Amino acid sequence: MSERFTAAQGRKVVSRASAEELGSVSRLVVDTATRRIVLVVVGKRRSARVVHWDDFSGFGADAAIVGEDTSLREPENDHEQAGAKGRLELLGARALSDRGNELGKVDDVLFDPDTGALEAIIVGDHEAPASSLLGVGSYAVVLRADDSEPADGQPQRASSAPPG
Amino acid sequence: MKLLLMGSAIRGLPVVSIAEGEDVAEVRDIIYHAEAGTVVGFTLNKRGMLAGRHKHVLPIEQVHAIGRDAVMIDDQHQLMAPKQAAEAVASPETERNVIGNDVLTEAGVSLGQVKDVVVLAGAGGDVVGYQIELPSRGVGYIPLPAQLAVSGTALVVPSATAEFVVNDLVGLGAAVDDFRERLGIQ
Repeated sequence: MSERFTAAQGRKVVSRASAEELGSVSRLVVDTATRRIVLVVVGKRRSARVVHWDDFSGFGADAAIVGEDTSLREPENDHEQAGAKGRLELLGARALSDRGNELGKVDDVLFDPDTGALEAIIVGDHEAPASSLLGVGSYAVVLRADDSEPADGQPQRASSAPPG
Repeated sequence: MKLLLMGSAIRGLPVVSIAEGEDVAEVRDIIYHAEAGTVVGFTLNKRGMLAGRHKHVLPIEQVHAIGRDAVMIDDQHQLMAPKQAAEAVASPETERNVIGNDVLTEAGVSLGQVKDVVVLAGAGGDVVGYQIELPSRGVGYIPLPAQLAVSGTALVVPSATAEFVVNDLVGLGAAVDDFRERLGIQ
């Protein structure tokens, strides 16, 4: 079953060791190269902490379970800092094709809760496969153009061209 | 269908790196090689109001695509210091700027003055036409051959161009193909 980013937001995060509720999911941070969720941000703004995806024993429909209370930590490197501050946020981001045309806003992202692998990026009524994701940044989420987009210099007149 | 863009609409577009999803600069001006009929590169501004001139330039070879909403580059390393770029990009010949030039046909008829260039969206920066100020009827668009003679005050186009003057960009898209077919190019 795929899961949605919008549904995963707000999910409670519980420690397996203590059964304590540690907070709730505020953001999911994606690695563009592997097209997977790598980091889950718990809490907001100054109190934001991060959990590596691999530290979850389960990302279930009712709760996301981490091994230890200490699985929740401060963001470390630049990528984690950017993720915690929302600069790598997909939801609501401007979707731009690699042909330089705006497609709309990212409304939702589908992923596999077992692996964290992205499945699709939903922009309006269009569902782009995760394999079309090329880049995520503070300006835009860049998606590989599909064939329905206006052409880039290749005249698409083959069907109307006279024979010979 | 072809997506055509006015030069004036390209100025100010963000330059976005695909790998990073960042707007690394914006287009300040188009560097145009009139004889070759192509954009050879862009001068840049930093992003944001009042941010000022960007010290780097963007040669057309480094451009992934020119689109309606952004100029796309593979990553931020595509921007170059002018001294690393080709001569035509580093120090463009401004006297070859065609805006305001008289468009003369080979038969010696003036079609009007150039108001703007029309660029084919995509990777090559092909300039397929001009927006011109018509002497009588306001604004029109003419298709261009692949190459033409440019002096700095006037440019000479094939006589057949007069038959392909159209009123809008959509019409120009079709006119370019028909025109070039007539001239036996493409």
